[in-house]
Amino acid sequence: MQKYEKLEKIGEGTYGTVFKAKNRENLEIVALKRVRLDDDDEGVPSSALREICLLKELKHKNIVRLYDVLHSDKKLTLVFEHCDQDLKKYFDSLNGDIDPDVVKSFMFQLLRGLAFCHSNNILHRDLKPQNLLINKNGELKLADFGLARAFGIPVKCYSAEVVTLWYRPPDVLFGAKLYTTSIDMWSAGCIFAELANAGRPLFPGSDVDDQLRRIFKLLGTPTDETWSGMNQLPDYKPFPLYQPNMSISQVVPKLGSRGRDLLQRLLVCNPFGRMSADDAMVHPYFTDLNPSIKNDRCERI
Amino acid sequence: MAGNFWQSSHHQQWLLDKQDLIRERKHDLSILSEEEYQKIFIFFSSVIQTLGEQLKLRQQVIATATVYFKRFYARNSLKCIDPLLLAPTCIFLASKVEEFGVISNSRLISTCQTVIKNKFNYAYLQEFPYRTNHILECEFYLLENLDCCLIVYQPYRPLLQLVQDIGHEEQLLTLAWRVVNDSLRTDVSLLYPPYQIAIGCLQIACVILQKDQKAWFAELNVDIEKIQEIARYIINLFELWKTYDEKKEIQGLLSKMPKPKPAQQR
Ligand SMILES: Nc1ncnc2c1ncn2[C@@H]1O[C@H](COP(=O)(O)OP(=O)(O)OP(=O)(O)O)[C@@H](O)[C@H]1O
Ligand SMILES: [Mg+2]
Repeated sequence: MQKYEKLEKIGEGTYGTVFKAKNRENLEIVALKRVRLDDDDEGVPSSALREICLLKELKHKNIVRLYDVLHSDKKLTLVFEHCDQDLKKYFDSLNGDIDPDVVKSFMFQLLRGLAFCHSNNILHRDLKPQNLLINKNGELKLADFGLARAFGIPVKCYSAEVVTLWYRPPDVLFGAKLYTTSIDMWSAGCIFAELANAGRPLFPGSDVDDQLRRIFKLLGTPTDETWSGMNQLPDYKPFPLYQPNMSISQVVPKLGSRGRDLLQRLLVCNPFGRMSADDAMVHPYFTDLNPSIKNDRCERI
Repeated sequence: MAGNFWQSSHHQQWLLDKQDLIRERKHDLSILSEEEYQKIFIFFSSVIQTLGEQLKLRQQVIATATVYFKRFYARNSLKCIDPLLLAPTCIFLASKVEEFGVISNSRLISTCQTVIKNKFNYAYLQEFPYRTNHILECEFYLLENLDCCLIVYQPYRPLLQLVQDIGHEEQLLTLAWRVVNDSLRTDVSLLYPPYQIAIGCLQIACVILQKDQKAWFAELNVDIEKIQEIARYIINLFELWKTYDEKKEIQGLLSKMPKPKPAQQR
């Protein structure tokens, strides 16, 4: 631990505190995530283990880098590359106004990070503004892989209660147990709308019912025709048949027609109908994306 | 995490070469012969397998635990940590990583006690001596020694694909799967990528079943020499098993094995 000088606390997480720190040797600024090892039965918490082992495998410029894991007297400290702030804090600093080019760039980078995770068969499962880190130079990185998992042969159901309510897709809200990459694509859609509205959350539900009602009021209640299998989900319950009364353009007034089209392809209640990250990256909305962002070589560094 | 083995920590950090292994084992091999060393590892692979089965873990989790165990001793002498402690710790860690859920420590310890008493009493006369605090401390040490590389690719998935490609044959799959399990008792998981191990094991299964698949194997784009090396490791294991009576020999081997100094933990 002598290697790093702690500077200030930058966040509080579920399994530990995050500090900004300086590497005494090369003066590099890093983020230290201290893992509490409670004296209980679990040993190193599973969420910390998942984060460690997945980030050890995922090296991409839109994914926060894990530099090192320090072991010292019964404490684990994860050493991450430091980013200037998380997207939530960035929203709070905006006063309701955001440059459309920034929206496009952030969205593209989010999709590119996701595409990389998904091509490695990894689901993030907990996408939300607090877990997206950004830098002043406009980079965006996925962080907080505590709930992420590698998916493979669906041998068992993954645990329920994984995504923060606001960014949860309807299938998960209805208790679907077999998650796929579509879970992250829904969250990406919600974040896209929130970006376009400079930080106003799209579906700020207060509980599962309220969450579903908000979704269906905007998108229309799915029917057996638009989503077969919905009524077999474990926690399914019928909702009034809302007709989509507000148009998407009222919800995201500042987004152009291509942006709205992309949003509508992500916010699809039926998980099988949701667009993939790869496909979203080549959506016409990104045609006029600043080439320096698009062509950024994203090979592992 | 199929498809990205080439960028994985498994490929980049944990495919060792034979010379590495020989060098790292120098100390232990000054006390044990190579064959004795191997017998000890065969024994502990069985301990891990039996513990895993008792705990109803999937084979994937058991295989991952076994690879952790082997990786640890590929970098450390047997005297660093008593393998009887490291074996359940590997199971504990692997089941968390493979998202099998946390095995409660009390259940782990009591399973160790029963398994040692009922299945391995020919090796250990005393009770299983470790408790929760030992496992937790050991987990930490293990994590560090693995350099936090926890995702292990196994030959099972490539094997399924290969057998499917040959034309689904239940008997062939069952046997090849067992050969893969056996391969955990050799060094191949430290030396070769899992898809090569899968091919090597499949080849052995074909030979045992007297299925002529030469044409099919020839079409595979693989380094035949490597496959032969893998097959050799496994055949050597089968040869060793023919004459080896674990029940008679293991106590002697365990007492000869280098051990941690009793005073200090590690
Ligand atoms: N590398 C980093 N650079 C800058 N800030 C960071 C970094 N990592 C984390 N933070 C800050 O700390 C906060 C908490 O970190 P993180 O999301 O990784 O953990 P967590 O919150 O424990 O997980 P969960 O969201 O499941 O509670 C983040 O929202 C962010 O504000
Ligand atoms: Mg977080």
